[in-house]
Amino acid sequence: MPRWGMVIDLDKCVGCQACVIACKVENNVPHGSPEEQRLRREIYWHKMIAVTKGNFPHIRTEIIPMPCMQCDHAPCVTVCPAKATFRREDGIIMQYYRRCIGCKYCIVACPYGARSFNFKSQEIKPYHRHDEPLERKAWDPWPFPTRTHGVVEKCTFCFHRIDQGLKEGKKIGVEVVPACVEACPSNSRTFGDLDDPQSPISKLLSSRSSFRLREELATRPKVFYLSK
Amino acid sequence: MGMNYITIEGRSRGYKILVSLLGAMVGLFITSFLVAYLKGQQVWGVSNIIPWGQLITFYIYFIGLSAGAIIISSLSYVFKREVYEPIGRLAVFMGILLMVGAMIFVMVDLGRPEKAWRLFMYFYLNNMSSLFAINSIFYTGYIALMLIYLWLIFEGKKRLAGVVGTADVLWAIAVHMGTGAIFGLIGNREIFFSPIKPFEFLMAALTSGTSLIILVAIATFKLTNRVISEELIFSLSRLLTHMILILLVMVFVDKLTHLYFPNREAIVYLFTGDYWWIFWVLQIGMGIGFPLFLLIFPKTKKSLKAVILAALSVVIGVFGERAALVLPGTSHPQPFFPGKIEGPWGEPGIFPITFWESLLSLSIISFVVLLFVLGLRYLEILPGGRGESLLGTRELSVQQRDS
Repeated sequence: MPRWGMVIDLDKCVGCQACVIACKVENNVPHGSPEEQRLRREIYWHKMIAVTKGNFPHIRTEIIPMPCMQCDHAPCVTVCPAKATFRREDGIIMQYYRRCIGCKYCIVACPYGARSFNFKSQEIKPYHRHDEPLERKAWDPWPFPTRTHGVVEKCTFCFHRIDQGLKEGKKIGVEVVPACVEACPSNSRTFGDLDDPQSPISKLLSSRSSFRLREELATRPKVFYLSK
Repeated sequence: MGMNYITIEGRSRGYKILVSLLGAMVGLFITSFLVAYLKGQQVWGVSNIIPWGQLITFYIYFIGLSAGAIIISSLSYVFKREVYEPIGRLAVFMGILLMVGAMIFVMVDLGRPEKAWRLFMYFYLNNMSSLFAINSIFYTGYIALMLIYLWLIFEGKKRLAGVVGTADVLWAIAVHMGTGAIFGLIGNREIFFSPIKPFEFLMAALTSGTSLIILVAIATFKLTNRVISEELIFSLSRLLTHMILILLVMVFVDKLTHLYFPNREAIVYLFTGDYWWIFWVLQIGMGIGFPLFLLIFPKTKKSLKAVILAALSVVIGVFGERAALVLPGTSHPQPFFPGKIEGPWGEPGIFPITFWESLLSLSIISFVVLLFVLGLRYLEILPGGRGESLLGTRELSVQQRDS
């Protein structure tokens, strides 16, 4: 069984935020109003943070793209009382809306702020995704776009692309990648199987020094960063 | 021993007005719940940064009050201290009602309350490593034990009530420590993360529970023209003094542990950030400092009014203690990346007090008070003696009109 992971090369990242937009488009993540943004109620599956170091005039700003870290030891899975958040065999942490009772414990326990709550019913936009099966039943465990208010949602590493690609026998990480990886104009992202020593992601990780966010919490994220 | 208990008649005008007022508030409860349920939690002050707000604060507060009330009731039924007998039934009854209130608070806080039954599908549909799931065992068992306890007391089976009461007290301790562990085990929130949190919760429960019992006992006895012995109140206030002292030590140790080592950013935020006043004014000032002064200072510790004031201060202050945990605990931005995070992700969250959330909280409290008032009418909670069996030195009110 593969263990999907992602590498983000901060040296190549230009901070264009195409990954954020691509994620919103691919996964039908609702756009928030400026008011919601101010109140911190906008839903992000993939966010960008700007980190400054130093003081003017010797200052540097780094743009850090932050998808869900898909931790191997995910605190959100531990604290979810309803088994709505679970770890798939391939390591992807999934959120099953139909089970979610909306207790928001996972938002409290997530060290990366990767989870968002639906504070209102989102309007259903005209939206078509060719890779999505037509049968409602076949969406399981994916009741979207019928997400309701009162449930928590998060990044899925575009599991639907991976599953579809595996079914069609395509090479994951080369031919099929998550939307944010596909949209990156500077090729700063690599996706693939961390357990396969021959995969491009493993080769990249073994060739350069990498780090993960908040490693002291021992959540073992599967999103690696290559420093500048 | 051998005290008899009666119901109140409930024919007075004041009683009827109180019940109808509270009934109207319960109507508002249904409205405010439906508004949030249909429109989503956007009508509340919660956000992705502060996901738990007023309702969770009230939830842990009420569980604390309930556990405190049950532990106080054990003085009468487990430790057989006669002086506490007049308030024994009252304490158990309050324990049940406050727990019911806490359960309503946590249920309406859920995004999808209709799916709450999943919590009770032990080992099958729920995840037993989650403290919410573990606590759901504690809570159901707790309510069941309290009901049996109260029933045995009503039946006059004192020996059995003592046995069940002992189990219930131990269970209440577990309930409240489990609630503390919901916060204490969350390793990424520095203000939450603490091994002492369950014990601190327990002591806060004891102080607030004792204080609430002092207030409720004095208020109900006064309003129904009953006599309460000062000895009872002062022995409770002496207990309260010790509990506040232990709570002070625990809060001190907890904060010192967080403050000593250089990774003290979160605790400095708690002390000096947007919610400094909840911590310093409410938790420390009203919850510990002011009542401790009143209860230790020789002139005030023997004054009934000062004891009432101290109890009131503790009841408000421990609410502040809960709020000082829930709000700053999550509003402090998490250090995702070394350096200063700019923009919304690096700024502390602000929790606005919103109309619908406050109305919901108020109406749930009204519902609990309504149950209490109706309980006095239909259950034999209050002692019916005309003061002769109440051990009293000096008496609060000598009038005995309709009891």
